[in-house]
Amino acid sequence: MKLQRGKVLVDPPASASSDIAFILIIFFLVCAAVQPETGISQVLPKTEEKKDKQEQSKNLEVSITPTSIVLNGSPLKLPEFAQRLTAALKQKTRDADKIVTVKSSPDTPYPLWIDVSQTIKEAGGILTLELESDRVINVE
Amino acid sequence: MKIQRKRLTASVPAFAMGDIGFLLLIFFVILARAQDDSHLQWQPAKLEEADMVAAPLASVTIDTGFKTYLDGKELSNDELAGALMTILGDAPAGQRNVFLKVHKEAKASHFEPVIAAISEAGGDLIHILEPDEQTK
Repeated sequence: MKLQRGKVLVDPPASASSDIAFILIIFFLVCAAVQPETGISQVLPKTEEKKDKQEQSKNLEVSITPTSIVLNGSPLKLPEFAQRLTAALKQKTRDADKIVTVKSSPDTPYPLWIDVSQTIKEAGGILTLELESDRVINVE
Repeated sequence: MKIQRKRLTASVPAFAMGDIGFLLLIFFVILARAQDDSHLQWQPAKLEEADMVAAPLASVTIDTGFKTYLDGKELSNDELAGALMTILGDAPAGQRNVFLKVHKEAKASHFEPVIAAISEAGGDLIHILEPDEQTK
């Protein structure tokens, strides 16, 4: 006669499944929370009062509205703006001459503003914001 | 004859100490992170050349309602510069990172005063953006 060996069942204890689920939730929460951020940096010198109007008028001036980008009075599309700006800044040697004053209309969308500021940075310009309250911010 | 009652001992099992310690650790980690701005609703704008950025000392968010928050707490643009100066303290240049998280539908009237406040506080501005995979 052949004796059958009793099968040994190894089940994980059911009482631990809630603990396991809880640990998994926490694990994914922490993983989601520590995802690295991406972006672009801009070094901001402290806000300063508006400089001499005459000196400022030598700088390149950019106006942004939701539908247009105006460089020194000429409305341009973004690729054309990048070309014209790069060409204009190539002629300038001093840092002080590379200042680009940007004035945005209040309804300028953020993505467009970011595109313009990034274009200025890539062209070698020093971004300066002209705000409604006549405060001027230099952005390198 | 006096029958002695058997003494019952209730001790915490020593093998559970590791689990308890781990759960406490996780609890405090979550608690610390709950003070950040992860509860705010906003969608980042996209940019092709968005790079990984270093950890900030402060985080300013403009949410879907175009309200301004500093480290998750709502405050006005007038209060922002002062509050940022307090947080940034005497941190040296290059270590004064301030994250600016602007909802992609925000307008210049919303984000320019915030940029002005960060500038006034002497913060190193970092725009938080999403890398644009389509244009790559």
